[in-house]
Amino acid sequence: MTNFITALVLGVFFGFALNKAGLTKYNKIVNVFRFTDMAVLQFMMTALVVAMSGLFALRGMGLVTFPSIPATYVVGNIIGGLIFGVGMALTGF
Amino acid sequence: MKFVLNYIHKETWSPYVAGILLGLVGIAAVWISNSLLGASGAFENLAGLIGKAVAPDLFDNMYFNFIMPPGITTGVILLVGVFFGGMIGAATSGTLKWGKKDALNSDDQWKRIFGTQTWKRWGLAFIGAILLEYAAGIAGGCTSGLAISGGMLLAPAAFLFIAGMFASGIITALAIYRKKY
Repeated sequence: MTNFITALVLGVFFGFALNKAGLTKYNKIVNVFRFTDMAVLQFMMTALVVAMSGLFALRGMGLVTFPSIPATYVVGNIIGGLIFGVGMALTGF
Repeated sequence: MKFVLNYIHKETWSPYVAGILLGLVGIAAVWISNSLLGASGAFENLAGLIGKAVAPDLFDNMYFNFIMPPGITTGVILLVGVFFGGMIGAATSGTLKWGKKDALNSDDQWKRIFGTQTWKRWGLAFIGAILLEYAAGIAGGCTSGLAISGGMLLAPAAFLFIAGMFASGIITALAIYRKKY
């Protein structure tokens, strides 16, 4: 049960951040592919850098153990990414 | 304090500030519940749940039995949270369009490119969403579940996925926009 409540709270903040960054809008998502508005990249990379440095620092202090990382299967990852990009540019989600 | 409140009411934050917030949420997810953020997996869990009830034989395969077991997972609950979080975000900036006239298709850029028909917007969104979910199934996650959550653990898969996503996204945008690119 606590699991579900944590997930709900995390989800609310997740959705809030996405909305405030404007990633819920079609034009934001598509314009990153047109190189006219890089908000998506700025947002993603900032999140990545913050989370990366935070998590690795915490692991260095022995406070967290990492969950299993997403599996690497080169062809699948790339093909998935390629199809995903088409869908993303079409829908803007 | 007033500055913070004013900032919350702004419609679009600096992507850097919102990114820091998401980064902190990502850290919290790993720290508190030892899990990763993700969106696409939850749809598969739900699809599995419905599929098992409607057509048990069709859904009795390896993917739905082992890789994406059906059920109400924490991912599904997270997705519910995302929905309400997005709504709260829109409500605080006063752009919540619940029940308003142009709520179903409100993007000006979309209308300029594809026309003003609402069914077109929804039809394309449906087709695109099938592509998205299918691709996420192949790659093992979507933008949030693989690119961001995997990336913050330095998973190679995440960076391969991001590369593929941008390569084909740019080509698709080129094909759609042509001279307006």
